[in-house]
Amino acid sequence: MADAKYFSTTKKGEIHELKLELNAVDKSKKKDAVKKVIAAMTVGKDVSPLFPDVINQMQTDDMELKKLVYLYLINYAKTQPDLAIMAVNTFVKDSQDPNPLIRALAVRTMGCIRVDKITEYLCDPLHRCLKDEDPYVRKTAAVCVAKLYDISAELVEDRGFLDMLKDLLGDANPMVVANAVAALSEIQELGGKPVLDLTLGTVSKLLRALNECTEWGQVFILDSVVNYMPADAKDAEAVVERVLPRLQHANAAVVLSAIKVILRNIQYIGDESVRTALLRKLAPPLVTLLGSEPELQYVALRNISIIIQAQPSVLANDVKVFFCKYNDPSYVKMEKLDIMMRLVNERNIDQVLLEFKEYATEVDVDFVRKAVRAIGFCAISIQSAAERCINVLLELIQTKVNYVVQESIIVIKDIFRRYPNRYESIIGTLCDSLESLDEPEAKASMVWIIGEYSERIDNADELLEQFLETFPEETAAVQLALMTATVKLFLKKPMEKPQQLIQLVLTYATQETDNPDLRDRAYIYWRLLSTDPEAAKDVVLAEKPTISGAQDSTDPALLEELLRELGTLASVYHKPAASFVSKMRLAVHRADDLAAAAVRGSQNGEPEMTSVVVVEASQAGSAPTAIAAPAAMPDLLGDLLDVRAPAGAMSAAPDLPVVFGEDKGKGVVLRAALTHAADAYILQMSVCNLSMDVPIEGPLLIQFNRNALGLAPASQSVSLDAVLPGATAVVCVPLVQRQELVAPDQGQVLQVALKFPRADVGVLYFASPIASNVHL
Amino acid sequence: MLSQVFLLSPRGDTLIFKDFKGNVPKTSTETFFRKAKFWDGEGRDAPPAFTVDGVQYLHVKVGGLYWVASTRENVSPSLVLELLLRMYWICRDYFGYVSEEMVRKNFLLVYELLDEIIDYGLPQNSSTERLKQFIMMEPVAVKQRLGGGGRAGLKLPGGATGPTEVIKSVLDTDRTGAKEEIFVDIVEKLTAIFDASGHQKSSSIVGAIQIKSYLSGNPPIRLGLSENLILGRRDSRMQQSSAYGSDTDVVVLDTYSINEGVDAERFGAERVLELAPPDGHFALMNYRSSRSFRPPFRVYPLVEDDMYAGDKLTLYLRLLAEYPASKTASGVEVTVPLPRSVQRVHCETDAPNESKLLALPGRGAFEQSAEWRERERKLVWSIKNLRGGQEHTLRCRLTVDQGSIESTKRDYGPIMVQFVLPGKPSASGLDVRYMKILKDEKNYAPSRWFRVVAMANSYQIRPH
Repeated sequence: MADAKYFSTTKKGEIHELKLELNAVDKSKKKDAVKKVIAAMTVGKDVSPLFPDVINQMQTDDMELKKLVYLYLINYAKTQPDLAIMAVNTFVKDSQDPNPLIRALAVRTMGCIRVDKITEYLCDPLHRCLKDEDPYVRKTAAVCVAKLYDISAELVEDRGFLDMLKDLLGDANPMVVANAVAALSEIQELGGKPVLDLTLGTVSKLLRALNECTEWGQVFILDSVVNYMPADAKDAEAVVERVLPRLQHANAAVVLSAIKVILRNIQYIGDESVRTALLRKLAPPLVTLLGSEPELQYVALRNISIIIQAQPSVLANDVKVFFCKYNDPSYVKMEKLDIMMRLVNERNIDQVLLEFKEYATEVDVDFVRKAVRAIGFCAISIQSAAERCINVLLELIQTKVNYVVQESIIVIKDIFRRYPNRYESIIGTLCDSLESLDEPEAKASMVWIIGEYSERIDNADELLEQFLETFPEETAAVQLALMTATVKLFLKKPMEKPQQLIQLVLTYATQETDNPDLRDRAYIYWRLLSTDPEAAKDVVLAEKPTISGAQDSTDPALLEELLRELGTLASVYHKPAASFVSKMRLAVHRADDLAAAAVRGSQNGEPEMTSVVVVEASQAGSAPTAIAAPAAMPDLLGDLLDVRAPAGAMSAAPDLPVVFGEDKGKGVVLRAALTHAADAYILQMSVCNLSMDVPIEGPLLIQFNRNALGLAPASQSVSLDAVLPGATAVVCVPLVQRQELVAPDQGQVLQVALKFPRADVGVLYFASPIASNVHL
Repeated sequence: MLSQVFLLSPRGDTLIFKDFKGNVPKTSTETFFRKAKFWDGEGRDAPPAFTVDGVQYLHVKVGGLYWVASTRENVSPSLVLELLLRMYWICRDYFGYVSEEMVRKNFLLVYELLDEIIDYGLPQNSSTERLKQFIMMEPVAVKQRLGGGGRAGLKLPGGATGPTEVIKSVLDTDRTGAKEEIFVDIVEKLTAIFDASGHQKSSSIVGAIQIKSYLSGNPPIRLGLSENLILGRRDSRMQQSSAYGSDTDVVVLDTYSINEGVDAERFGAERVLELAPPDGHFALMNYRSSRSFRPPFRVYPLVEDDMYAGDKLTLYLRLLAEYPASKTASGVEVTVPLPRSVQRVHCETDAPNESKLLALPGRGAFEQSAEWRERERKLVWSIKNLRGGQEHTLRCRLTVDQGSIESTKRDYGPIMVQFVLPGKPSASGLDVRYMKILKDEKNYAPSRWFRVVAMANSYQIRPH
């Protein structure tokens, strides 16, 4: 029987037909019907009207059918919370079933139903299952604690589930230990505060379980242990000792996490010889990772780039393993090239150069360009090989492949700057390919070379004249380069032709162009030349500092952070985690609620509301009025914990900018601004009730996203006296500043979510600018 | 950890979608597909991890499908990618092979598997073996299109799979009492670079011992590897090996990793791998060797000027199969990129005319073809089956732009060779000396299949 056939019915009255089938007497017919329902569900059809009929099938001994019903239940419970309650009894009963599979299934599924009403009933079964005799049930229950925490953190703390979870860290079964660690990490992430305190005792418990548990469990454990601060060198060595065998593991994630732990603990080991020996052990597993699937190779390569910047000795002799294969995906090739550039040295330069040359003849244009740049990099960083590199570049220019020539000229310009007065003999060759240049950067480089060496190029004036023909159409970079080159030419060869040229350029640049940079520079040259040509020579033809060959390495502070984040996405993006991980949990959860409400609404015939309302107050527009003078509410500052103004006091904050307007159709207008006084931040808000008949009542729930100042509300709950229809109330929310919430990349804006108890208002999102004068 | 996991068809249709946390919008499948499909507008592959609007997308592309996970956290990408690849292998173990049709037909089973593999975004149980006790549904078989699976298996990017795939669900043995058997494959992917005179400039081998087990009750097995095996450059046996005299008698693996079920110390001491093989596919050992090997193929290019025409060149490619006549390579493909100056190409293989006429479909041992793919600017010469010791020559007449004779001679290449070459000995010399199935039962004689395969990873001839 093929499941695919369940997709085939699309007739009208399908729901009705399914309903009949679900209520059939024949068991196999019922099961088939449930499968059809789920097939419809997965292709996005709304089969929620069948909720009671499907739930009726839940009490069955048939595991397969039970699982199917649960699949349906998880999907629709949210939109049918009242009906979902019907399922509770079966869940509670199942959680005491003699079959451990059924017990685990019940507790796993219950945790996936995010309905507040069900959550209360979940506590008792969960409590039982955490102490179950069967490890499969215990490990499932451990994860369920994290699920519950996501729905209701208070409940988890009140019912002591956190402590039970911590007890499981000492469980006899390693899978249970691993899941307990994973659940605790998950809770830590959700709550934003540490729950797992790593003592020597906990760590050795975890490490004991390490050998026995699944590969994923090993990663959970290693990623927790990495946060352990060893008390002394002996401690650190003991941890490393336990972790070392993991380097042989076939799973790339285990290897990378193990390397992270080792690198972290190595810092605490004083003995230089032990450290060197350990570092030496890291190379083979890293090399092995390059034999895996390209996706995994890519992750490994990005991490290797970080590791060798911190510990250059690790792979110093292994440049060969990074040679590109022609069938590597381009994202792998680019990374390999990057690492080869970091590993190249006087001993291996010949080999590496040969590779680069080969890459420069491939078809992938970006890869070819990078290869040419790599050759230039070798020339600049390894003095003894500069000549060989230049010869390779000249060979490449001979190929006349347009982008290869242009890229070569760009790097040759840098080589000239690195080694002045050594390789100018090749200028003749470069001049042969003038016609093919069409990219601004290459043009600018060539023009720079002509200007710099105009005294050695006999026909420099003619060459520049050629370029000048299209002067008005060039990009700003080329125009600037052309102007400077012409001035250099004139100063070096003060003859008739250069003089004509310079007049042409300066006239155009001062009179015709709109580009202020170009115009200003032209004026400077003009004045210099007309007042004192000798001084002009000193300025324009001054000795230039030679450039160094340092590769663009990662900023040390960032590198430090990336080392800590080894094996995570941060290490792949080479960006700190805070720059791409946003604390969006609150917003999206509430968005879910809204979506569910919308579905409920649409069933009652109301228009469907599909998108979540998020308001971004334009920073520029509201900035001038953004700040209410701190003095405006002096009396409020004394009472930070519960600050409020009487209802209707619209005039108390007349100049707050509107952050959530009437046009959003919520019947509420919000004004808000961030102010500070007496070393504390306050969010001033005014709530205006536009509705005709319903008052708005408190308390409101408030939460911020991470922001540049690390601000958070002192209390999540904001009390608010009932705001009568048409009235306005002013609320001041005292804020606290917390270092761990600082996210400088979030920009000068404060993103706020505000939940109203009234369901039709729900959650409002707005953003309030953080003006520069509020900074303390 | 993970917010969602989903499977997309090559056209972006959602085949499987599972949400764990509800903190990523449901439109993520579309967001992902648009970004991945049109990564840079030039057909280059998207990297396996990228971010869109604060959501992190990780994916692998195997079995012709996108296997994707989304999250908002700073997760371990290796863990996620390994997990997605594992999901692919589990599906393969259950269905025999993976395709869009297969997933569509078995979507309920995939959901059931997913429920066990991942709970609340946390990877749980990912061994085919252990999953069996929790999975109730039966896989639905899809009739294989002739010749589809085997070749498709070969083309999997990165997956070191053998040439002849066993298409069989792990459930068959236990539930239907199908034949008990175990497959042991040594799969080695060769990388080599030769210069125009055939000198081997660099070489390396990435290999794996892969096992596919269909033994009921999972009795432990013991594999004895070559005695002369040297593990790592600092192996103590390395020092002794100079005492053996000749260097060629030893097998050296620079780095290796072994399955976690194996006692690593015993392997180090005795070169014996012992474990209870889980059901389905798994890698017993992965390794890498940088020692040079006897190249199975050599290609000698030669370019001749035309005496009469100033715009013509003749390119000769001589291909030598330098392995014993007892072996036959399949899917041999020689590719030569030609520069833009080449306008027209006319190829002539050396297949005798009568054999072209007589060659019956599927039987032609000589079957060769050569074609000029103008859009890719590649000359592709393929030979279906090539027995050891044979030699073939391809003659190509190139018509080039006026005055670009010299640059054409300089700019063609590098020449790439693809092949699949089954048969002992392996390129690294690694061998399984014996395999014992440790089960005390009379008349227990499951079939054992042992194969060695060499494949091209990056096999290049640089003519300049």
